[in-house]
Amino acid sequence: MFGLVRALIALSVLLPFTAAEAHGPSRQKVVDTIEINAPADKVWAVVSNYKDFTWHPDIASSEATDGMEPEKTTRKLTFKKGGVVTDKLMAYDPDRKYISFMTAEVDLKMLPVSGYSSYFTVSPAGASTKLEWKGAFYRGYVNNNPPPELSDKAAVDAVTVFQRTGLEALKAKIENGS
Amino acid sequence: MQIFAAMLVAGGVLLSIDREAVATGAAPASAAYVTNQLGNSLSVVDLAAAKQVAEIPIGGKPAGIALSPDGGRAYVAAPESREVIAVDTAARTVVQRAPVGQGPLGIAVNPRSGAVYVADWYEHRLYALDPVSLQVVASVTTGQSPSGVAVTADGMTILTADRDSNQVSIIDAATFKVTGTIPTGERPFGVTIDEKAGRAYTANVASNSMTVLDLKARTRVADAPVGLRPYAVARAGDRLFVTNQHGESVSVLDAATFETVKTVRVGSFPEGIEADPAGSGVWVACWDSNTLERIDTQTLTVSARIAVGEGPRAFGRFLR
Repeated sequence: MFGLVRALIALSVLLPFTAAEAHGPSRQKVVDTIEINAPADKVWAVVSNYKDFTWHPDIASSEATDGMEPEKTTRKLTFKKGGVVTDKLMAYDPDRKYISFMTAEVDLKMLPVSGYSSYFTVSPAGASTKLEWKGAFYRGYVNNNPPPELSDKAAVDAVTVFQRTGLEALKAKIENGS
Repeated sequence: MQIFAAMLVAGGVLLSIDREAVATGAAPASAAYVTNQLGNSLSVVDLAAAKQVAEIPIGGKPAGIALSPDGGRAYVAAPESREVIAVDTAARTVVQRAPVGQGPLGIAVNPRSGAVYVADWYEHRLYALDPVSLQVVASVTTGQSPSGVAVTADGMTILTADRDSNQVSIIDAATFKVTGTIPTGERPFGVTIDEKAGRAYTANVASNSMTVLDLKARTRVADAPVGLRPYAVARAGDRLFVTNQHGESVSVLDAATFETVKTVRVGSFPEGIEADPAGSGVWVACWDSNTLERIDTQTLTVSARIAVGEGPRAFGRFLR
């Protein structure tokens, strides 16, 4: 019995890509915000640049297709750990300072999630700026009975760290003027 | 105060009859039963008072919802704990829970017999349950990952939206056999029957569209574009309302031409949707905003926004 379970887990490791559409039964949510000591326009300039996601410390390179067209423009993110995640621009609204994108193919060793959509909202907060990063996503294991490393909890834990790391790095980058 | 509220509601209905022949003459719904998937609960909302009056602990990440023909029971499908849970709507307590399949999600009730139908997302089956014991009495294989379930008013036909087969299955309620399938757009999730038009509608998550099906001819009539990643459809008057999960909006379409009349901005991640039987409003659960919102069918604006539990989905028929 344990052999079978281990074999199934091994199989899931051999098949690290999630299908773009199938998913588990409960969508999860992680919302995080950070205050950045810079004008909203300056924060928006970085956040809205879909072509470049390398401000996130986990990302080595990002290559996007041309344009800024929701549902059309896509991006390939290569992680420093070596894996690749692709995503698609979903919404881009400079008036609201709001941008969102959603993963297509995910190397589960990079992020144990599927259908992970990110929503960034930039809003002035006095002299500084509030940046919210909201994530809505499903666990990495699209079938029933997920192994622990691909469970709902594993997905929430990983996204919590991913978003926090990203927000802190973005704050540092902008405030240090780099 | 109660009487005053009731008079206001009655007055509102009369007013809408005067203004346009949209009102159906049916009494408006008095309550909504909203499954909160992240909050593991069922919100009971008093619609006239526009507030949540109870939040019943359910567990199991509840998503699907249906009501018995007399409204005395709310049936909840909880995919995480793999259960169906029956709630006494008067006492607001859980009266029965039973394990059902491997991934119970969509749920509907036969309006004539009271039988409870549950779609299993992982086993690709539809179950018929005894409404009291919640024991499975029949089962049939559908397409892949059936999600939404709907039953015709005569109780004779059941539809499932088979999300990963891009089709609707038609099931004969008496024999509990699949008698046909109709193709849809990509990844149909919610399915809604329109008795007046003899049609059904699916909201197709991956193709950002709604498919219109003719139930008698068993054909695909039309596909209409809607917003981002649509979830479910409702009809009120001569209009169709489609929740766009990633669009923070509800698309409003003409029910005859399927042209978009307006896109109404609502809360974030709108999902479960149902038209009030009186025709004056449409109720929408917004997963991310934790709200149940009312769209006025005359003005096509949000006329009420009610706080509910965490992660409301209300996938099914949730108005009483």
